[in-house]
Amino acid sequence: MFYRESGQFKTSYAADQALLPIAQDRWFVVLVIALAFVVVPLWADEYWLQAVLLQFLIYAMAAMGLNLLLGYAGQLSLGTGGFMAVGAYAAYKITTAFPDLNIIVVFMLAGLCAAGVGILFGIPSLRIKGFYLAVATLASQFFLVWLFNKVPWFYNYNPSGTLTAPPREIFGYLVTGPRALPEVRYLVALTLVAVFALLARNLVRGRVGRSWMAIRDMDIAAEIIGFRPFQTKLMAFAISSFYCGLAGAMQLFLWLGSVETEAFDIIVSFLVLFMVIIGGLGSTLGSFLGAGFITLVPIFLTNAPRLVGLDMAADLQKHLELMIFGSLIIFFLITEPLGLARLWQVTKEKLRRWPFPY
Amino acid sequence: MATQRHSRDVILDVDNISLSFGGVKAIQDVSFDVREGEMRAIIGPNGAGKSSMLNCINGFYHPQQGTITYKGVKRSQMRTHEAAAQGIARTFQNIALFKGMSTLDNIMTGRNLKMRVNVLLQALHIGPARREEIAHREFAEKIIDFLEIQAIRKTPVGRLPYGLQKRVELGRALAAEPDLLLLDEPMAGMNTEEKEDMCRFILDVNDEYGTTIVLIEHDMSVVMDISDRVVVLDYGEKIADGTPDEVRNNPQVIDAYLGVAHD
Amino acid sequence: MQEFLNCVFVSSPSELVGSPVFFAEVVLSGVLTGVMYSLVALGFVLILKASGIFNFSQGTMVLFAALTLVGFMELGVPTWLALIITIGVMVLLAVAVEKFVLRPLVNQDLIILFMATIGLNFVLEGLGETIWGSNVKKLDVGIPDYPFEIPVGDDYILLSTFDVYAAVIGAVLVFSLAVFFHKTPIGRALRAVADDHQAAMSVGIPLKTIWIIVWSVAGVVALVAGIMWGSKSGVQFSLALIAFKALPVLILGGFESVPGAIIGGLIIGVGEKIAEVYWGPCVGGAIENWFAYMLALVFLLFRPQGLFGEKIIERV
Repeated sequence: MFYRESGQFKTSYAADQALLPIAQDRWFVVLVIALAFVVVPLWADEYWLQAVLLQFLIYAMAAMGLNLLLGYAGQLSLGTGGFMAVGAYAAYKITTAFPDLNIIVVFMLAGLCAAGVGILFGIPSLRIKGFYLAVATLASQFFLVWLFNKVPWFYNYNPSGTLTAPPREIFGYLVTGPRALPEVRYLVALTLVAVFALLARNLVRGRVGRSWMAIRDMDIAAEIIGFRPFQTKLMAFAISSFYCGLAGAMQLFLWLGSVETEAFDIIVSFLVLFMVIIGGLGSTLGSFLGAGFITLVPIFLTNAPRLVGLDMAADLQKHLELMIFGSLIIFFLITEPLGLARLWQVTKEKLRRWPFPY
Repeated sequence: MATQRHSRDVILDVDNISLSFGGVKAIQDVSFDVREGEMRAIIGPNGAGKSSMLNCINGFYHPQQGTITYKGVKRSQMRTHEAAAQGIARTFQNIALFKGMSTLDNIMTGRNLKMRVNVLLQALHIGPARREEIAHREFAEKIIDFLEIQAIRKTPVGRLPYGLQKRVELGRALAAEPDLLLLDEPMAGMNTEEKEDMCRFILDVNDEYGTTIVLIEHDMSVVMDISDRVVVLDYGEKIADGTPDEVRNNPQVIDAYLGVAHD
Repeated sequence: MQEFLNCVFVSSPSELVGSPVFFAEVVLSGVLTGVMYSLVALGFVLILKASGIFNFSQGTMVLFAALTLVGFMELGVPTWLALIITIGVMVLLAVAVEKFVLRPLVNQDLIILFMATIGLNFVLEGLGETIWGSNVKKLDVGIPDYPFEIPVGDDYILLSTFDVYAAVIGAVLVFSLAVFFHKTPIGRALRAVADDHQAAMSVGIPLKTIWIIVWSVAGVVALVAGIMWGSKSGVQFSLALIAFKALPVLILGGFESVPGAIIGGLIIGVGEKIAEVYWGPCVGGAIENWFAYMLALVFLLFRPQGLFGEKIIERV
């Protein structure tokens, strides 16, 4: 009754192709943006900003990256952690070498480095497909993490091997470093995520997105129509790695302040993969839903037993988390391989008809 | 009823093509030509090598012997995307649509080679990227109108019935504005009405746009009605080549179809 | 940089050539590791050959088997009884996995199955650690473990009895599996099932029973691998990660080949050891972390179907 499209006529192709063709959707997004940019920084406390929202934003960025590669282009990659590491280490090296360079520019350059590495490790994707490619990307994951661990140049010969984000400012506000306010860091991260989500949506609904989906759905036919598989796949790896690299840089500078290579190990790759699956392959919204889900489950598990009166030991909680993650993955793959995004879509369909049953 | 066409230039010349897979000879020393604007049918019993022939023409298979001359350029090896860039489009026996995309998107993929704007502008979706997307959308819509599939333009093709999928596939091929259109059993599995519609579309494409069409088809009445000339293959060899009337009365052709014992 | 190049191209190769006895020792050590990789890969190949199902959780089953065994032994159960109980548990586990995870996903892409078994890995790890605790456990089933020397000329090769036992047990297991598959009626039935389920059923072969047999065998193989690995380095989560190394083994050897799993395992084991011992010091060590995967990657570029796999022909 409320969520209806009737009466909303599109009189031009541009209107039909718009990102949010239904008016109710537009209002909803405006509301979310207003909440996110204005209400949250005013109301949220440090714990929420630091432990939940920033984590969510960084995960969302990484999940978007992997979604472009896996959900849209159909290339299974287990190297997400490695590419995030490239972004973090590249950003660190660039900003320590050029301290006056604007940190956002540093981020972009770090993303480009990650994109370059992504192209390199994406080259095998022409010959190798599907599961074999996944194992090949494990090579990139293990190698990159090992590289950043072993070659001291990457962490500026610092004896502890840890990267620490130096303080940097934008327009006079401190955005990185130990004294930067969580609200400021949150807003910077939020802006980056919002901008890049928009760019991702644009890419996906245009020629590049179609070329990825064509390769994903039937690469032989795609080539016969004239798509170049190699260029298409490399483009997917490049852009996806850019996003992951950016996420890694954001993780170091905006969220944690310091990282070691453990922050980018194979578990992270699996985690981002889970986000993409649970959230929904081939859907930008899905990346957000999945990231949100993975961020919230540990929080829920930490707090829920206490609310119900049970007291759970920390390591038992961790084991339960593992089991719940694992079971959810299996559950989603069996019942709804299209993930939460699909559930959301189904809900919207039902809303269209509400309150009528069909 | 195909009208007699005055002779035109040869757009495709297939010369002494032989193709084998391992020990199996799919095509043996087959030659024929196709004239511009013509409706050329390839017929023959199952396994005669018809689809393989189309695959050679558009570069998916590389024949061990022989050459193919297309638009005056002789070549024996061509990559498929090169063939596409030179104006060859095709449909497939088993439908090769992109199941995850909608009808409209599938047809838009056919426009891919005409889209030039670079990635960065696309990401920002401004200016030239926006205009290009809309211009190609208009062209795709013309094809959708032509094929009368407006109602399903946003439906994911995986959900469409077989007959409509075949029509969408034709639309995708047409979107590329091909000079040579290869159709592999475009009417397989259709009922009479669907076949009539498909026939009409194919004839319209040939009449209105002058597209050269090479068509594999099993339905004899269709072939005889709409083609200008027919090539008959059997066990990988050419056994007849001429107008529908000539071929219809050829004793070898009759034998092949009736299954007379082969030496 | 100069130092690095010198190390890689001069001092390491010269070290290799300079002491053939030590080289033999390294190779042997690699062979022994390789046998263990092969064992894990073998469990996978068995299930695939006999039921067409990709059981990527084979690695975690190794861990789980070891955990269960150690758990019971720590409770005071005598070794022989603990072994029998563990085998029973593995069979039950296999049946449950097949019923709840693999069967619902039976027609999906490899990728989906792979991701499901990563999920399964997490579940099993969580479950194992919840039941048995997460600290590293020492596993001792009574295999003697002391070093001994094999004299060669006036030099000697250093080995441990444990390694020898492991290799022998591994070889015996592999050999008996090969015999089992090819010579016995049950083995024949298994191969029939792998070929064509319907046809096998139509000649009276009971599918369910066969699958249970196969999975039990795979479970036993996992247990042996778990005992070997666990005794050597303690029972802990990293055991499952070692099992991930079976993936490059499978890639090299082809997914459905028993000899492939063996040869692939040996190549990876020996290659890894040689790279680590001779070239590891040039780069600070731990090459073993990624060498197997890089090797598989390079291999895939030239021969995407593995050593013994079938060439994939794509048709339109």
